Amino acid sequence: MYGFEAMTFNIHGGYLEAIVRGHRSGLLTAADYNNLCQCETLDDIKMHLSATEYGPYLQNEPSPLHTTTIVEKCTLKLVDEYKHMLCQATEPLSTFLEYITYGHMIDNVVLIVTGTLHERDVQELLEKCHPLGMFDSIATLAVAQNMRELYRLVLVDTPLAPYFSECITSEDLDDMNIEIMRNTLYKAYLEDFYQFCQKLGGATAEIMSDLLAFEADRRAVNITINSIGTELTRDDRKKLYSSFGLLYPYGHEELAVCEDIDQVRGVMEKYPPYQPIFGKLSYGESQMLDKAFYEEEVKRLCLSFEQQFHYGVFFAYMRLREQEIRNLMWISECVAQNQKSRVHDSVVFIF
Amino acid sequence: MEEQVKKVDHQNHEEGAINKVSNPEIEEETLIFLDSLDHYLVLIDSLSNSLLHQGWMELAGARYSMGASRVNSALLNLQPHSAATTVEITHHQDGSLTKSPKFNLCKWASPDNKDSSLEKENIEEDEQLKENISSQRDSGNQESSPDSSIESVTNASPRESNGSEINASPRKIENPLQKERAKVLSMFGTLVSPKLRASQLTFETALETLVEIANARSSILKSYEALHRDMKSTQE
Repeated sequence: MYGFEAMTFNIHGGYLEAIVRGHRSGLLTAADYNNLCQCETLDDIKMHLSATEYGPYLQNEPSPLHTTTIVEKCTLKLVDEYKHMLCQATEPLSTFLEYITYGHMIDNVVLIVTGTLHERDVQELLEKCHPLGMFDSIATLAVAQNMRELYRLVLVDTPLAPYFSECITSEDLDDMNIEIMRNTLYKAYLEDFYQFCQKLGGATAEIMSDLLAFEADRRAVNITINSIGTELTRDDRKKLYSSFGLLYPYGHEELAVCEDIDQVRGVMEKYPPYQPIFGKLSYGESQMLDKAFYEEEVKRLCLSFEQQFHYGVFFAYMRLREQEIRNLMWISECVAQNQKSRVHDSVVFIF
Repeated sequence: MEEQVKKVDHQNHEEGAINKVSNPEIEEETLIFLDSLDHYLVLIDSLSNSLLHQGWMELAGARYSMGASRVNSALLNLQPHSAATTVEITHHQDGSLTKSPKFNLCKWASPDNKDSSLEKENIEEDEQLKENISSQRDSGNQESSPDSSIESVTNASPRESNGSEINASPRKIENPLQKERAKVLSMFGTLVSPKLRASQLTFETALETLVEIANARSSILKSYEALHRDMKSTQE
């Protein structure tokens, strides 16, 4: 019953909630970002990060550093923290934590399938996979020729199996089919995650509904913008939108017929929570939209920590760390390319 | 002694007369050489300081938006395929003794593409696309917006009204150049960020600049040889 989590939550979830709140205090602050933005080289970045929780992960990396190395090592830290929480969690928190990684699993599946289609070496592809999305039979994905085989040979024994019901065909895998498969899987995953959180009820359901609805709406906007000028039909575009969220169903109807960014803006400005996001953009521009969405997401994720005794803090922490890694990647790229004036184009401050 | 002095004076006078006749030609050749050199240096500067930096930053921006798993070198296509863009070298013999090579860029004209005149048919739309991007950059946008560019391209062709019902039939991409660009980008997925499309256009412009640099270099060498030849003939 909602409101009574305080009585029972700490029995099974108290330790891990304390752990994740402790991890939250280790997120980089604005002062840290200011120091990083003034670095001249990647070694300077490594030196500044050595004073943070990323220090032990970067200290043994030899010079010259590469931006991908910094991202990989910072991701390893996130993976270690996640695995520690997962092995300490009991049901239903353990299932909730596993749900958080299914998005990465989908990305890894698509990476392996796409790379195999392009005749890339499987080992090379496995090295590029996100560690949070790995599963035992992932290397076998290279054998499949179409989606039916993909499901039958590999994915039937993975958590992604239930999401394949809508996209099992015997068509050969090509770039368009893979893209549709990616988005269909992700849609099914989001809807399943949403239903799972609703079943948990209480503060978890309330907070996670808001966060997942925002994720679904952002995906709808990105799919619309990215499909402008492509061969994706309006019907196919509409099928990729999730069946929940603030934009469902009328916003989706309008987004499906949009043919340029200004029409998308016209649709989104009817929804008050999204007016400030599109208000930051000038007409015809979409380059800063990603940053605007990330800023809004970070705001909502930080707010979830204001309430106790719910699982949303775990989801929020994982997402905030991923945003931090994105920030570090962007800062590293700007420093490596000697474009420090562009650093603040995409860095989203968390605190 | 006086006769020798007179002979030397006469020789100097003849040389002076010859120099007065050939000086305008040498000056013209020198000006052509310096102009070519200036053009070459300007192109080199624009390529290294703006175009390539812009392209790499846009690629980094696309990686930020789409994620590292969607924009990485492991997705590059290793299947055998012909080049989407080629460079033709023609040698012009323009009455002089030297052959100066001229480089022509043939964009999106691979042998796989049955319609070999793609570039000519769509060159106006391509230039319009580039103008839109440059006007976007001039108006203060930090990165180009291919969405508005795509809008201007689609504006050139008939559009359905906004109030039309959802069209179930496939919408054909009316610009074949856009289709070719999308085909090349499809190695990163068919629904890619506008930043990735912008970086593609930027690198395309960089490729055009490289060909211009090659032509400028050819022009420099040609004018240098002409200048050198003229100066040698006047000394003789």
